Amino acid sequence: MNTNSNVYTVIYSTLIVVLVAALLAFVAMTLKPRQDANIKAETISQMLCAAQFYTKDECSAMGNDKVLEAYASNIRRAFLIDEKGDSLRALNTDVKNIELQDGLKAQNAAIRKGKSAQLPVYIFGKDGREITVIPCYGAGLWGPVWGYLAFADDAKTFVGAYFDHESETPGLGAKIKDDPDFRAQFVGKQADWASSPVFAIVKGGAAKASEIDAITGATMTSKGLGTAVNTWLEAYKPYFQKK
Amino acid sequence: MEYLSLFVKSIFVDNMIFAYFLGMCSFLAVSKNVKTASGLGLAVIFVLLVTLPINYLLNKYVLQPGALSWMGESFANVDLSFLSFIIFIAVIAAIVQIVEMVVEKFAPSLYASLGIFLPLIAVNCAILGGSLFMQNKDFTSFGESAVYALGSGIGWFLAIVTLAAIREKMAYNNVPPALKGIGITFITVGLMAMAFMTFMGITL
Amino acid sequence: MNANLKETILNPIFKGNPITVLVLGICSSLAVTVEMKGALVMALSVIIVTGVSSLILSLLRNTIPNRVRIIVQLVVVAMMVILVDQVLKAFAYSIDKQLSVYIGLIITNCIVMGRIEAFALGNKPIPSLLDGLANGVGYGLILIVVAFFRELFGSGTLFGVQVIPNALYEAGYVNNGLVILPPMALILIGVIIWIQRGIQKDLQEK
Repeated sequence: MNTNSNVYTVIYSTLIVVLVAALLAFVAMTLKPRQDANIKAETISQMLCAAQFYTKDECSAMGNDKVLEAYASNIRRAFLIDEKGDSLRALNTDVKNIELQDGLKAQNAAIRKGKSAQLPVYIFGKDGREITVIPCYGAGLWGPVWGYLAFADDAKTFVGAYFDHESETPGLGAKIKDDPDFRAQFVGKQADWASSPVFAIVKGGAAKASEIDAITGATMTSKGLGTAVNTWLEAYKPYFQKK
Repeated sequence: MEYLSLFVKSIFVDNMIFAYFLGMCSFLAVSKNVKTASGLGLAVIFVLLVTLPINYLLNKYVLQPGALSWMGESFANVDLSFLSFIIFIAVIAAIVQIVEMVVEKFAPSLYASLGIFLPLIAVNCAILGGSLFMQNKDFTSFGESAVYALGSGIGWFLAIVTLAAIREKMAYNNVPPALKGIGITFITVGLMAMAFMTFMGITL
Repeated sequence: MNANLKETILNPIFKGNPITVLVLGICSSLAVTVEMKGALVMALSVIIVTGVSSLILSLLRNTIPNRVRIIVQLVVVAMMVILVDQVLKAFAYSIDKQLSVYIGLIITNCIVMGRIEAFALGNKPIPSLLDGLANGVGYGLILIVVAFFRELFGSGTLFGVQVIPNALYEAGYVNNGLVILPPMALILIGVIIWIQRGIQKDLQEK
C-alpha cells in the first residue's frame, strides 16, 4: 500500500482526528458530572478554608459529602450582587442543591470591561459573628489564579484568604496555595477602601496595613495575584461601602 | 500606543527564552552558528505569527465556554475548552509540516543543518506556550494576538542569534575540554538569563 | 536478554542521556526542579508517557503517511495525556490537581517527540517501549539530581521537610534565593555535563 499518496494521507489524518475527537468528547461527557461534583466540593472547601473553619489539611481529608454538609450548616445566606453593590437574587444554600457562582472567568472579564456583573457574596456565621467571603480571579504566570477572601463583620479586616491556581510553577508561584505563611499574612490586614489600590502585594517590606509581601522568586505570579485581588476588591467596593 | 507597548514588552520583558525559558531544546542545540540560528529564528517567528492568530480565532469562536453561541442558542452552553491542547497542537503541527516542506524544497542546505529540530518546532514549547498565554491573557482583538506573536517571535529570534554569536566567538576561547560545546553553553545561557532578569518588573 | 536490547536500555541512562547528551526536554527540567516532589512527579509521568507513546506509535509506524507524521505523533501523545487527566479529574481529584500543572509540559516535552522520531518510527514495538522507558528514566535522574541541589540550597528542605538545622540559620546562614531562579538550573545542568564529560572523555566536543 502506498502510504504517501495524497488520498491516503487525507483519509488517514481525517480518520485519526475524528477518532481522537470522538473518544475525548465521549470521555469528557461521561465524566463531566463527577468532575463537576469534585470541583464544587473543592470550591466550597476553599471558602471554608478562607473563613478559617478548617485548615487546608482538614479540608482535603473530608469527602465531598462532608464538605457540602459543612457548608450548609455554617452558611447564613448567599446572594449575587451587581457592580453597584445592589443585591440581585439569593443563591440556594440547601445541602442538596448548593448553588455557587462558578463563572468567575466570565465575571472577571465583565468587571475589567466595566460591564454589568453578577458577583457572589457568601455570608457564614461563626461564634455569633458574620464572616463575608468573596472570590477573586485573575491571570498568574502560566494560567489562571483565583481564591477566596474572608472579611470580619467590620467589612474591612481580613479573617483569612485561600488561593488556588491551575498551573503555577511548583515551589515558586505554587506557593500562593502551598505556603501557609503566605496566606497567613492576610489575617488581621485591612482593605483600605478609601484609597487605590485597595490592597497590594509588594516586593520586600510590606509597611501598610493594606499590604503583604510577595513571594520570592515568583514575581509574575505575585503580580498577577495582586492584580486579581485588587480588581475584585475594587468591584466589591460599592457593596462594602454601603455596609 | 497599546500595541507598541505590548510589542516591546513581549520582546524584552516577557522574552520567551529568558523570562519563561520556553523553547530551550532547539535554542541550545541549533545555536552553533549565526546563519543556522537565524534560519530557525525566522521559522519560529513565522510559525508563531501564523499559528497564534489562528488559535486566537479558534479559541474565541470554538473552544471557549459559550464560544459556539454564534451557531444558535442551543450551543450557548457548550464548553469545549478540554480540547484546547489538542486543537492548538494540531494547528501548530500542521503549520510546521508546511514550513518543513517549503524549506526542504527551497533551501535544502538550511534543511540539512536544521536536521531533527525543524520537526521539533512543533514541540517547541515557545509556540504552544504562546498560544496558551494568549488564551489566558484574554486578548480582546485579533490585532493584539498578532502583535504579541510577532513580538515573542522576535524576542526568541534575538535570543538565539545573540547566543549563536557568543558561541562563534567562544570557539576561539580556551574552554576546559569537558566543558566545551554544550556544557559551557548552558552556563552562558544561565548568565544571559540573569542579565535579562533586570527587565522584569519594568512596566510600560 | 541479547546485547542489543541491553544497550537500548542502558544507553539513555548515562552515555546517551536525553538531557545532558541529546539536549532534549530542557524547558521542563528548568521549570519543575525547584523541589524534589515536583521533579519526582514529573519524572514518573514522563517515564510512562514516553514508554506508552513510543509503543503505540511503533505499532502504527507502517501506516503513518510520512508527510503528516508529526501531527499524528502529537495527536496521539496529546490524546493520551488528556485522557489520563480527564479520568483522574473524575476519580482521583486530589492526585489530578498535583499533576495538571505538568500536562502541558509533558505534551511539549521534546523527549517524547524526539524518541518517537528517532527510534519508535524505525523499530519494533518492544524495543521502542524499552527505549521510551529508559529515556524517561535517564531524564528523571537528571531532574532529581538538579532538584536535590536546588531544594537543599534554595529552601533548606528536601521533599518539603526541613533538613538544614535551625541552629545554622541562627548562626547567620541564609537560603540562597538565586538557586530558586531558573538561570541557576541552567548553570547546574552545565556543571553536571562538565562532570559527566570529565568521566566519559569520548563525549567531549572538539
